[in-house]
Amino acid sequence: MAALERQDIALPAPPVSADAIPLSLRRRGATARQVLAMAAVGAVVLALFASPDLPGWADRLGDGPVARSVQPIAQGWDRAMTRLGLTRPHQAVRDAVQRMQEWQW
Amino acid sequence: MLFPTFGFLLFFLAVAAGLAALDTRFGAKKALLVVASYYFYAQWDWRFCFLLAFSTAISFGAGLLIGRLPERRRQRLVLGIAVALHLGLLGLFKYLDFFTLSANELARLLGLQHELPFLGVLLPVGISFFTFHGISYVTDVYRGDVAVCRNPLDMALYMSFFPQLVAGPIVRAAYFLPQLARASAEPIPIAPALLLILGGMFKKIVVANYLATGLVDPVFAAPTSYGGPDLLLATYAYAVQIYCDFSAYTDMAIALAALCGFRFPANFNQPYRAERLREFWQRWHISLSSWLRDYLYKPLGGSREGRLLTYRNLIITMLLGGLWHGAAWKFIAWGALHGGGLAAERMVEPWLGRRAASPLGRAVAILIVFHFVCLAWIFFRAEDFEVARLFIGGLFSGWAGGVQQAEPFVVGLIALGMAGQFLPDRLFDRAADWLGAVPAWGLGATAGVAVAAINALGPEGIAPFIYFRF
Repeated sequence: MAALERQDIALPAPPVSADAIPLSLRRRGATARQVLAMAAVGAVVLALFASPDLPGWADRLGDGPVARSVQPIAQGWDRAMTRLGLTRPHQAVRDAVQRMQEWQW
Repeated sequence: MLFPTFGFLLFFLAVAAGLAALDTRFGAKKALLVVASYYFYAQWDWRFCFLLAFSTAISFGAGLLIGRLPERRRQRLVLGIAVALHLGLLGLFKYLDFFTLSANELARLLGLQHELPFLGVLLPVGISFFTFHGISYVTDVYRGDVAVCRNPLDMALYMSFFPQLVAGPIVRAAYFLPQLARASAEPIPIAPALLLILGGMFKKIVVANYLATGLVDPVFAAPTSYGGPDLLLATYAYAVQIYCDFSAYTDMAIALAALCGFRFPANFNQPYRAERLREFWQRWHISLSSWLRDYLYKPLGGSREGRLLTYRNLIITMLLGGLWHGAAWKFIAWGALHGGGLAAERMVEPWLGRRAASPLGRAVAILIVFHFVCLAWIFFRAEDFEVARLFIGGLFSGWAGGVQQAEPFVVGLIALGMAGQFLPDRLFDRAADWLGAVPAWGLGATAGVAVAAINALGPEGIAPFIYFRF
């Protein structure tokens, strides 16, 4: 048992300071401006295709002046995207999930 | 302000724009991140920003004093006062009501008339995390593991950096402060960060949310209304839900820190594939378990003073680890189970060995550890002891009735969550490598489509992350 205790002390410690993103993946990357470009493009694409979620998010902002001004914009934007047909993929995915939830044994 | 929301996206766009505009001015970038972090924290309750600032001031002042004092005895005194102040704040906000209620209950049992007043103190989000950051810093300065931080801006950023502020990971001072000394020369790992964000969003918005609403919440709310199969599946579902919820948060925190130019340590590593309980704690919430090991278990004596004291130290460490999660007896029971399990595992290790030799033996070991962890999760999730008792009792009855609540959809999500525990390590690296060749705008467009798809897959609205309440 004493030998086991000694062996225990010699065990390598858990990777407390091991980087979550390993060095091999950090060699290639981007600048802060490219990060901004990625986030901005992502936000635009999201606004186009995820507009059905915008009114719900705006409603959850509460009752303050900011929320009151954002809510009609979110609803108007969603209506515009619906007219353009960009909400169809969102609805198709939601319907598919709904059908999966209704599966029975 | 939750990570996977439009509000947070707008906030991050503003931060990214600021960081891009400031370019090489590293000091100004740090100042921007401190302001952004306090704004982020103020979204929960602006009054607690003063608490965060006070906690930062304690650590900063104590670090300077320890660095200035020549005598070890006086340094220890300053360390003791700083740790006591940090724990005092944590105790006041997190545990005062729990101890008041427990004391009053004990007084009633003893037939005493006097009752302590119940204050109903509001729990500041993230207090457990920034308290541990503060204690980590002063202890590391005392031990000589980190240089004294002489820049209040650096200390403020270490304590408040928004990706880890409210639910970790617990980032050690010795790990993070050197990153603030000078700007990193490394490029920003945009592709792995994006994968972590997308994976995290899927785990939280789709897996964790549906498991919570479809099975875990209804079954844990009324365990006597369900038979054994539903209770068993709800236990598995909670194991997957809490993993997906918490690891999703830390994945996104790691990615956001990376996008701001900083490194964070890993916090999860497929914990349910552990073959020993000890290994589970080297894979689950690694930043907490290693913190407890280095700042509690080892100072108690660790495994240096014989078998019995090792068992005692393990149990004390896990009991306090349980109490860290919340001011309730059920968390103490959860910690006691893990502490007792770790001690028992040490006792039988000379006969079992550290790892099972055969594939079958390893599979059995994984199953045993997973089910032990699940048993402990019942106490963690149940409203109180009585619910946990009813739940565990119900597991052994009502098997003839089959499942009522667990539909194929949620069972599929449990299977998906468990399958993720056994994916090969290199899959993430390969995907990140492949995405790394895509230009930034292409990554943005891909991310936009993927996030829209994940949003559509998930239920409307986002439940808060489980670890926000700790």
